Amino acid sequence: MGRIKALVIKEFRQIRRTRAYLGLIFVAPFVQLIVMGSAITNEVKDIPLIVVDGDHSPASREIINRFSALSLFDFRGVADSTVRADRLFDRGEIKAALVIPRGFERDMGRGLSPQIQVLIDGVDGNSAGVSLGYITSMAGEIQKGWIGSRATGAGAEIVPRFYYNPGLESKLNFVPGLIGILLFMITSMLTAINIVREKELGTLEQLMATPLGGIRLIVGKIIPFTVLGLVQFSVGLIAARLVFGIPVAGNLLLLYFMALLFIMSTLGLGIFISTVTSTQQQAMFVAWFSMIFALLLSGFFVPVGNMPPLVQKITLLNPLRYFMSVLREIYLKGTPFRYLLPEAAAMGGMGIGLITAATLRFHRRLE
Amino acid sequence: MKKSLAAVFRKELIHIFRDKQSLFMVLTMPLMMLLLYGYAINLDMRGIEITVSDRSLSPRSGELIRHLEATEFFHVTVAGGGVSDVGDLFRSRRAQCVLEIPGDYADLLAAGKTAPLLLAIDASDPNGANFIGNYVARVVSLSFGERQGLFALEPRIFYNPDMRSAPFFVPGLIALILLLICALLTSIAIVREKETGSMEQLLVSPVRPWQIILGKVLPYTFLGFLDGLMILGAGRLLFRIPVEGSLLLVMAMMLIYVVTGLSLGMLVSTIASTQAVAMLATVSLTVLPSMLMSGFIFPVSSMPPLFQLVSRIIPATYFLEIIRGILLKGNSLADLYRPGGILLGLDGILILLSIRAFRIRLE
Repeated sequence: MGRIKALVIKEFRQIRRTRAYLGLIFVAPFVQLIVMGSAITNEVKDIPLIVVDGDHSPASREIINRFSALSLFDFRGVADSTVRADRLFDRGEIKAALVIPRGFERDMGRGLSPQIQVLIDGVDGNSAGVSLGYITSMAGEIQKGWIGSRATGAGAEIVPRFYYNPGLESKLNFVPGLIGILLFMITSMLTAINIVREKELGTLEQLMATPLGGIRLIVGKIIPFTVLGLVQFSVGLIAARLVFGIPVAGNLLLLYFMALLFIMSTLGLGIFISTVTSTQQQAMFVAWFSMIFALLLSGFFVPVGNMPPLVQKITLLNPLRYFMSVLREIYLKGTPFRYLLPEAAAMGGMGIGLITAATLRFHRRLE
Repeated sequence: MKKSLAAVFRKELIHIFRDKQSLFMVLTMPLMMLLLYGYAINLDMRGIEITVSDRSLSPRSGELIRHLEATEFFHVTVAGGGVSDVGDLFRSRRAQCVLEIPGDYADLLAAGKTAPLLLAIDASDPNGANFIGNYVARVVSLSFGERQGLFALEPRIFYNPDMRSAPFFVPGLIALILLLICALLTSIAIVREKETGSMEQLLVSPVRPWQIILGKVLPYTFLGFLDGLMILGAGRLLFRIPVEGSLLLVMAMMLIYVVTGLSLGMLVSTIASTQAVAMLATVSLTVLPSMLMSGFIFPVSSMPPLFQLVSRIIPATYFLEIIRGILLKGNSLADLYRPGGILLGLDGILILLSIRAFRIRLE
């Protein structure tokens, strides 16, 4: 026990001595949360739009007025021909256009149901779909106003109610997720680099020659980095509260317990990386790429349920996937532990598995 | 003159080929990322868990449920007596939305009135919640038969008619990988010589500084360029990414952008003293902003105004516009003079900056 304590004290001294670490742990999470939390959004706003008015009637003017008043669109004026619209599309200056045909009002009066063409730049498929949704519902509203309140016959109307995030704000979804990503990045990368550095310097072999042994050596590395991870996690929580005003709806203690399990798995990964690489540069490469894969397959950007079945199976091996849903569940929905058991078991199991594998590899290297 | 340049070039190639692990990663990582982005990023939702709380238990409500079941989008669970605790359903993740059919549903319809259907949606994923809301509304209104409105909308989606995500991501991935490889590898290669002290030895040799830099940088240019072409080819084979415009124009623009990456890498190398710092600085100063603020995934127009300003000084923003324009829209040089000109301008500024920084370091 005393030996591990000595090792832990040594690690903390080294950490305190390295200014960059302190910046990484206290400043970087704040800055990254602010930058990424504001930049990452899949809300679609300010869609540049023009209307090609071929009718010049009171009806077409009302449509133009209604669309130009909507803040979801960045109304770029009225054009006379679709030729101009085509050119603006090619240059990327507009993303959507409405084409009101000649005789629009007359045909409506005759009950012919004339068609308004909706032209949309589909390069960004997601935004295109959302824009089309906005335009459709706006057109529906305009029609409703024109038809008036007279009875439209039997029907049903959906009254949506959005739980946990009534304003449908992206940040409520992304900011808690970002805290998990930052934790993954720092803990796995720092551990890997720290151990490989000792390897490069040759101090690791000296430590191994002491009566410490592989297991104690690893425990002596795990303790300080777990503490660092938890500190950084707390900084993230505070930043989310102060900068974005997002409180934790669920049990804070449960959140920390889950974070601890998650850190076990990321430290395990970091130590494992350190046993398969020999230079800091390689360790960083491997840590960086495992982070990109973990990020993409975590459900952070895209719900895991949307992925093809095979890819969904691969995500089961990703600790970040579990922590991502744990964070969102506890942060937004206040989900109790009994519903998060599978995630807890997966992260704990992975942590133990990875640390055991890394310790075994450590021993093999010794002989 | 040429000889010493060639010698530095050859020396750098030897370095590259000696580190097999890194070389392997440089060549396979882009393909792995392409596969991941291509297959994992799919914004089409399906198999949504919907619980229908049917308090009406009438033929009319049964009919509505059948309409929901008929779509692939939903996985329907019917709770006959109604749902008492919606929150618990959401927290246990057994349902993403709950549709409440009121007890007087059939009566309201028989009276020719509009019946309200309460739809509770778990909006912890706001994007998904929005989709679900729209989709349920559409299914419900279709279940009452298409009514002819005063006018109709006829949507036409340009450039990417099926609204697939691959044509959007793959060109972006080319931009990201080119930058990652060029900036990261250049900065590390230069800083490595600094760290080991061999840079000073090179500088006192008769080889001129510009020859050292050019000789070191050129091999990585080729690697980056090769990666870009690889992604383009694989994207075409695997995800049917169109090349509407001129392939030659794409390559010319890629070259301009490679220069951007290299000068960014050189700039980082002048401030970083160790490989670890160089790597962290490159990633946080160039790769992350290019990934997050250029419109690679997230639309620039939705960001706060300050970030929109930042996006205008990020070279990737313009390169993305260019490469998506050529590949998907068939843009020619005439359409691209603005982003192309700005990209060239940024290149010029970056090169001047890095030459200045390098000179200061020399003294």
